[in-house]
Amino acid sequence: MKLWVYVIRRLVLLLPTIIGLTFLVFALEHLGGNTLFLAQYINPHLTGTAREKLVEELTAKFHLNDPVYIQYFYWLAAVFQGDLGTSTTLGQPVATGFVWFMPNTIMLTLVASVLTWIISIPIGVYSAARRDSILDQGVRVATFTLYSMPVFLIGFALFIALGTAWHALPDQGNIDPVLLPTIPDAWFDHTNAVSYPTHILPLDAFLHGDWTIAWNSFLHVILPAVALTLALLAGIIRILRASMLEVLEQDYVRLARAKGVPERMVQNFHAKKNALLPTVTSYGYLVSGLFGGAVVIEDIFAFKGIGWWTTDAFLNGDVGVVMGSTLVFGLILVVTTLILDILYAFLDPRIRYE
Amino acid sequence: MSDALEIRDLHVRFHTRRGLYRALNGVNLRLARGEVLGIAGESGCGKTTMGLGVMSLLPRNASYPQGQVVFDNKDLVNLPREYSERVGDRFSPKQNERILRRVSKAMAPIRGRRISMVFQEPMTSLNPVLPIGFQVGESIYVHDPAQLARRVLARSKATPELTRELVSLLAATHGDETSVRKFAAEHDLAGIEEQALFVWSRGDIHISRKEKAIRALSGQPMNFVERWIIDTVVRARSIPWYLSRIPILSRIVRRVLMREGNRKARELLTSLGIHHAERVVRMFPHELSGGMRQRVVIAIALANNPEIVIMDEPTSAVDVTVQAQILELVKRIRTSVSASFIVISHDLAVLAEVCDRIAIMYAGRIVEVAPTDEILHKPLHPYTQMLISAIPTLEGKPVEGIQGDVPDMRAVPSGCAFHPRCPFAFEKCREVIPTDLPHGSDQLVACWLYEGK
Amino acid sequence: MATVTESKARFDELRLSGKVFLSNKTAVVGLAIFLVFIGDAFLVQVAPGVLGVQYPDSVVPPQFTQTNPECVGTAPEAPSFNHLFGTIQYGLSGIGCLDLLQLVMKAIRIDVAISFFIVLVGAAIGTVVGVVSGYFGRWLDEAMMRVTDVFFSVPFLILALAVGFVIGRTLVNMALALIIIWWPLYARYGRSLTLSTKEATFIESARAAGSGRLKIIFRHIMPNVLPPVLVQISLDVGTVILIFSTLAFIGFLPSNALVPELGAIASIGLDFVALGDWWPVIIPGAVITMFSLAVNLMGDGLRDVIDPRRRS
Repeated sequence: MKLWVYVIRRLVLLLPTIIGLTFLVFALEHLGGNTLFLAQYINPHLTGTAREKLVEELTAKFHLNDPVYIQYFYWLAAVFQGDLGTSTTLGQPVATGFVWFMPNTIMLTLVASVLTWIISIPIGVYSAARRDSILDQGVRVATFTLYSMPVFLIGFALFIALGTAWHALPDQGNIDPVLLPTIPDAWFDHTNAVSYPTHILPLDAFLHGDWTIAWNSFLHVILPAVALTLALLAGIIRILRASMLEVLEQDYVRLARAKGVPERMVQNFHAKKNALLPTVTSYGYLVSGLFGGAVVIEDIFAFKGIGWWTTDAFLNGDVGVVMGSTLVFGLILVVTTLILDILYAFLDPRIRYE
Repeated sequence: MSDALEIRDLHVRFHTRRGLYRALNGVNLRLARGEVLGIAGESGCGKTTMGLGVMSLLPRNASYPQGQVVFDNKDLVNLPREYSERVGDRFSPKQNERILRRVSKAMAPIRGRRISMVFQEPMTSLNPVLPIGFQVGESIYVHDPAQLARRVLARSKATPELTRELVSLLAATHGDETSVRKFAAEHDLAGIEEQALFVWSRGDIHISRKEKAIRALSGQPMNFVERWIIDTVVRARSIPWYLSRIPILSRIVRRVLMREGNRKARELLTSLGIHHAERVVRMFPHELSGGMRQRVVIAIALANNPEIVIMDEPTSAVDVTVQAQILELVKRIRTSVSASFIVISHDLAVLAEVCDRIAIMYAGRIVEVAPTDEILHKPLHPYTQMLISAIPTLEGKPVEGIQGDVPDMRAVPSGCAFHPRCPFAFEKCREVIPTDLPHGSDQLVACWLYEGK
Repeated sequence: MATVTESKARFDELRLSGKVFLSNKTAVVGLAIFLVFIGDAFLVQVAPGVLGVQYPDSVVPPQFTQTNPECVGTAPEAPSFNHLFGTIQYGLSGIGCLDLLQLVMKAIRIDVAISFFIVLVGAAIGTVVGVVSGYFGRWLDEAMMRVTDVFFSVPFLILALAVGFVIGRTLVNMALALIIIWWPLYARYGRSLTLSTKEATFIESARAAGSGRLKIIFRHIMPNVLPPVLVQISLDVGTVILIFSTLAFIGFLPSNALVPELGAIASIGLDFVALGDWWPVIIPGAVITMFSLAVNLMGDGLRDVIDPRRRS
């Protein structure tokens, strides 16, 4: 099978999942009843007859008096047009909020993922190759402990140690409040803390050539990114170590040794590539944890991403944001899984030819 | 002439949670130069353990309490045996692993270059994510990178005139090796002779194609980085540290040399009767049939012209027609290659096809060694006799199975391990382990029945 | 005669299992810590007075004011001999002083009980669904796989938040939300175990011998599916506590619910972090880590016991 046939097949398999996802979100919105459903489209400050009139209009628009399956299609049509309702906490359409906050979350998760892989591959490989050495035992203790820590503890340990106690790194928000007024209005929206054009402050400041702000906002990324990395690291090292141990006992590794290939090359060439394969597959599951972790970490460090926005909305009863982020996070996860599957097919020649 | 390999009183034990498995209990064996020695026995008798033991490829829970494996006047199992002697019963796999790592380092120049091994399972013994060409070429890259570099250099130096001269020389001498070598040495083209001879010796293409192929061995283009790498490797006769240790540079070096490794792999595979080798080297293991994979594994084993090749059940995992082809191949290579072979199999019929001598193994000991004819027609040990009568034949003669079970290697019977199943067992068999008794000029049997005969 | 050797063989296997588990020192340590947690939960349930715990169901006593504090002081106090885990103030304005050790002891009962409840219910639902769809296969199986795909397509923490948002933010609803995200894991796992068992020859022979479907499922498939599922349960108890304490920490339980839950206690402690007080957040977090670590170590030991390769 050619690679592109495989990609198309995976894309087709994606459809039922996405349809199911919309079912799920729609079902959740309906569980709360019509009032909750409509709350995401109505400005809470609206009262009296104007409100009643809007309720009537919306009831007609979403066909709320018709059977549920008809309602679903009208809701889906609205979603397709990008209408996820209005955020009461932000005072903006939910879709706009995603455009603003999504880039920060993507940057945070990407940085954390890259850091995780850079750190975990050599540690996992070495720890398996030197099984039971002092270093391996140290790695096992550390990963076991880290793996058993709730995300908020990892975040807060860093927050307290590096932020509050030593003031080594900034621990709140995306930029120092002192610097906030110095950001030109042309590329920063002060009321909503959104920068332009990419909505990622360090990147935008860099594009505009403002080094002070770029550096300061970059420093604000470090703690959340490191916290998220630590939350993810232990799981990957454990999987990698286990799969490396298994690969090292395979026949083909024994053949490589019988060929006289030096141990270093056996590990880095013959074993590592095979050991990475199952790790990539299970990374798909870990991505779910990555986004969950991002929510908590953004909340702790007040880092303005969708996670922070979602928890804020959750606590303030902002239904449009909670439902919207369920849908959007779902779509992101589905696409990420697809990308990982394709990557897997690239790495493993067996998949392509089956 | 001395023996190619000598195993003296080799003991191997596996330490597991379920108990101590005594896999080898004093194996004595000599492998003469150029001979093909077969090892036969039921499964679980320690055949494979012996093969792996010689290569020091046993897992970390294996200890060598006693014995030697002498190759080229050196004892290969020296280090792990000393460790086992030192700790006795307090054997720890963790510490043994450290010892094994040192052994691996010491064995690296021997493994694959002077002693190589073909494993039982062709389906799992090739790396699924590396192309065939890489896996074959790698064994040369690891042991003799200068050879690969010389080949490239020779092609770049060869002019069309010289290769035309080479073609006429080959035609005139009918592919005489020494004259081609002389030609290569005279024109400073070391490395071209084997390529030319390989093409000339191919039986599958027409003479005109051969001439064309040899003439094409000229004017290899090289950019300056490649030239520098190739020159350096040829001059140093190996890869100097600065080419193998610096991260990105080492990758380039590997790519340059492995391109030639691929070419060499193509030649090796063609000479083992694989058609369209140029396509095969680009394939991955799962695209090949079991027989093809086994040929690839054999090609890997033969890549460096080793002195000893250990074949562990080379035909067990493939079906009967492929088995016949592999046996043909083994017969052919034993005449064309100067190596000695150890062929391990549970199937005496397979061994009878290819071996000069056959050793019969039972419960971790060799019970009988003799030339193939003697074993087949005048078996001495009761176990050998049973094994031979258990070979199914086409005549429809009733096959006799062997009574009793394979012994539990955690509690090997005292004396002769075979006595519980032996119809002729007497008092002495139960108490004293039989020594190797010579019988005739070249037969050894470990059985008290033949004491004093 | 046959039964005697058989039961002896079974006994040997059991003894070997025990030996394998006990030879793993860290697993034994994990078991010990785990038993301490269980003991605490049990005591708080049946005889809270033994531990000096009053009002085991609430963070603060009823009609809690400054006049009847559990301890003295108007600011949180660091761990000391009197208060091993330190104290916290309930409410930033200092309504009253609470002993953190007592709070933690109360909370362990709720955390342990809820995590077992979630995993056991989720595993029961999921395993049944998985075994049934794996055994009957075809469209049922296909449909089930698509349904679990949908549940896996949303990050679990977000799904739990959304479910909780709709059904209401209470302790029981939090458990429900987590069961909803937990059962698909077991459905997948149970299905794959069933499929591999179904291939085995003894199922073929049972079918050939004319055993009914239910009988095959209960007599032949379940005994093979259950041990790995049980090990998975033992590992998941350590994971689920992390997730729901995190949920409670980010505010799933409204602060006026006053549920003594470790994550919720840590989030009360959040108010004091800005003052530089580390213990109100770190200590509840560390207790959760201890429990999860103990369970993971124990589960690792159990996995060795059922893995035939690691046994030898």
